[in-house]
Amino acid sequence: MTSKWIGKRVPRLDGPERVTGELKYMTDYHYNNMVWGRVLRPPYPYAKIKSMDTTRAKNLPGVIAVLTHEDIPGFNGFGIVVPDQPVLCEDVVRTTADAVALVAAETEEIAEEALALIDVDYERLDAVTDAEFAITEQAPKLHADGNIHSHVVIKNGEVEKAFQEADIILENTFHSPRQMHAFIETEGGWGILEKDGTLTIQCPGQYAYRDRLQIARALAWNPARIRVISSPVGGAFGGKDEITVQIYLALLALHTGGRPVKIHYKREESVIAGMKRHPFKVKMKTAAKKDGTLLANQVLAIADTGAYASLGGAVISLAIEHSCGPYKIPNVDLEGYCVYTNNGIAGAFRGFGVNQVCMGIETHMDMIAAELGIDPIEIRKKNVYHQGDVSSLGHVVKGSVGTWKTLEAAEKCDLWINREKYKAEISEPWKKRGVSIATSFHGVGMGIGLPDYGAASIQLLPGGRFEVGVGCEEIGGGNGTVYAQVAAEILQCDVTDIVVVQGDTSRTLDGGTVTASRSTYTGGRAVATAAPNMLNLLTKAAGEIFGVSEEQVRVADKKVVVYDADGKADSSLSFAEIYDYLYENRRDTRVEGHFMLPKEKKEIKGSGGAPHRLYGYLTHVVMVEVDTLTGETEVLRVVSIPDAGKVINPQGLEGQAEGGAVMGIGYALYEDTIIENGYHKTTNFSNYILPTVKDSPQIETFPVEELEETGPFGAKGIGEVVMIPIIAATISAIHDAVGVRIKHLPATPERVYAALKARKDQTNQSNEENVM
Amino acid sequence: MATIRFKVNGKEKVVDTHTTKTLLDVLRDDLYLTGSKECCGKGECGSCSVMINDEVVCSCLVLVGQVEGEDIKTVEGVGTSTNMDIIQEAFIKEGATQCGYCTPGFIVAARSFLNKIEKVPTLEEIEEGIAGNICRCTGYTKIVKAIQTAAEERFSRIGAAVTQGNLQGKGD
Repeated sequence: MTSKWIGKRVPRLDGPERVTGELKYMTDYHYNNMVWGRVLRPPYPYAKIKSMDTTRAKNLPGVIAVLTHEDIPGFNGFGIVVPDQPVLCEDVVRTTADAVALVAAETEEIAEEALALIDVDYERLDAVTDAEFAITEQAPKLHADGNIHSHVVIKNGEVEKAFQEADIILENTFHSPRQMHAFIETEGGWGILEKDGTLTIQCPGQYAYRDRLQIARALAWNPARIRVISSPVGGAFGGKDEITVQIYLALLALHTGGRPVKIHYKREESVIAGMKRHPFKVKMKTAAKKDGTLLANQVLAIADTGAYASLGGAVISLAIEHSCGPYKIPNVDLEGYCVYTNNGIAGAFRGFGVNQVCMGIETHMDMIAAELGIDPIEIRKKNVYHQGDVSSLGHVVKGSVGTWKTLEAAEKCDLWINREKYKAEISEPWKKRGVSIATSFHGVGMGIGLPDYGAASIQLLPGGRFEVGVGCEEIGGGNGTVYAQVAAEILQCDVTDIVVVQGDTSRTLDGGTVTASRSTYTGGRAVATAAPNMLNLLTKAAGEIFGVSEEQVRVADKKVVVYDADGKADSSLSFAEIYDYLYENRRDTRVEGHFMLPKEKKEIKGSGGAPHRLYGYLTHVVMVEVDTLTGETEVLRVVSIPDAGKVINPQGLEGQAEGGAVMGIGYALYEDTIIENGYHKTTNFSNYILPTVKDSPQIETFPVEELEETGPFGAKGIGEVVMIPIIAATISAIHDAVGVRIKHLPATPERVYAALKARKDQTNQSNEENVM
Repeated sequence: MATIRFKVNGKEKVVDTHTTKTLLDVLRDDLYLTGSKECCGKGECGSCSVMINDEVVCSCLVLVGQVEGEDIKTVEGVGTSTNMDIIQEAFIKEGATQCGYCTPGFIVAARSFLNKIEKVPTLEEIEEGIAGNICRCTGYTKIVKAIQTAAEERFSRIGAAVTQGNLQGKGD
């Protein structure tokens, strides 16, 4: 069957409002009688609060409310898994990202002045700033249960025996950066206490229903009294998955006499208060046979989650689950710790722990290949698992697996075939080029132990259009256009006949998060489940109108057609006419579709949720040029080969692949939020280097489509893995260019230069020794 | 407080405000033109780009008192959804907008760039034209392509206008 909309380059349906500036983000709204809200942060990363006095602030003219922990009606905490982060600190502050008090005032300036008039008496404590130290007995305990938030272990086979039998063993330690999401729209929004006593929170987020639950818990309210509008979002990447300012807005809105409250962080506040990627230390020991067959992998990963858990436990679980790559390694010993420190707060971020471990296994694959003289693609092909194989974790992989095909496509791409030619085309005599490859994967959906479902509604509108409602927010990826394509394909209409509504608890069903590479897969499947129900509704109505059985009625080409006994089209009705009939007879015009994600039945003991039922796969080929005089690296070309199952919108997929590649380059080469002794040294984009167009390489995307039977039209998810293998591929390409391996990321010019110098010094020394 | 007069998108505006308020804040809070966004507030990202007398500036770095009597163009003045500029059409066609929060700044920078070129630009020239804007979603590839598409469109229209003897044709 040919598709009219699936697999087509449908331009973004919401494009016109985005390119003209007409689209209102939550932080663009304006209310005439508004007040400004601000948050007081502590000056110390770790301190006891001895006393707090808000009198002077409350007396400042123009101040409307000053709130502390005493003003929280319900539970003073939030956190997606373990709500260990205080909404407003009571007796202790654990990070400069903490919130101590809230102010609402007539102007932003008065609110800021009021913050300075809140008197807090602190007793400073020694901050815990090293994750490995945090695990030790001597470290001060930041939380009642100690500093280990979670500990996960996966063991399979006999690792020590395998190491004894191995022909080659590599052992290395890798450090990863504290990457910042750097979404362009900082955290912000509105809190409005409505006249009927309900509360409206307009705030960009990644799961409106869960945000509502966390707000309701802090307020001790029935969630039904709260409406959360969370879409559109000016970028998120995981950084708006957790509560940002929603609860502050809700609390302040209860104290402003119905006047809408706005909070919108300046970038400096966002840098301090916002979640970051977990910095990891990964020790990895990998063994192989002479022929390149992987024998064993031993991993110890320590993740610094900062002062609070948020999704840190899940991040380390995914890291361990993915730490052997998409390979069959029979003997594994994988261990991960998620640890509290006073270093800000870390949480969800695109890649979700896999970026950090992929760097380890893929660097080792590159090193083993070089050591054994095997082609880097061949050694991967030799070790990858296929659908139905047993993974390194010991489970049978049931979802579609495209790794082998992505590697084959990499082998055949121009950049790889002609790499020696391209490497010779250096731009300056002192620059050197390298080409390398890496592959990775990423779970789609939540894994075991968490609820995971999709839901969509479709309503027939006056005039014959359809409103498709999906909870998953529009955070940039274009999922709304994908939902319209899926609906239009099944409802036999144009995509422009579909109006998509997202992220609003009063207009969309609870369909889970827009995270975990799940919104195309889950939301798309929910729409594909709802659409046949709409077809039934349409054909049933037409059957009634014409007095024929439903079997004689079919939806085709924007109409409902009645066929006679010979199967010939007899007469037809437009969707608008069906709507009029239903409306006149006061009949329902809305249907729903629900989808429970398939799960693995058995959790791998101690893994914290592994395995996933489904993974997306991707291989990157990268060419870099390294300046041997400065250590500066430029990525020149990238080939991205994703297996996202059926590609519903190639333009949208390319957008993900290109954006993910550049975010991965930022991780590999530039980006790191520097925190020293608990204080952020990074303050804004002036000292946090983000890739610009000048750093953006030529990127080609060649999808392979390994259809997934449980997905909508065979689609899977891809939002995370698009930024993962490029990190290791870039670092291996640096090695290919200049012969040094950078294991502490980002590979800044300083680090590359130092490595080059150290190698040169070593060579000189050995030359001298030879002479002597 | 002072009364400041200037033109925005061809219309006279009179604003009673602090002269030290940024142009960006005046556009957003006083004139409700929220297409221009604040992202870094430091002139690093270009999300607040506007044209002052055809020159692209970060409106977060300009105090409103400095634009007394000047002619300002924001993204709202480049085109509307019912009457889009070729650069806006090209951004949609090529998939150059994702979350869209940086997009207005890119549209302003790209429009200014197109105003100044006299031939179809090279990729390097396009990159130079938007080097002051940061996008976190797209990886820039499709943005560059969109500007290239719009530039080609502009010059093909000029070519058509010249052929028809209509030298007044602006081409866009």
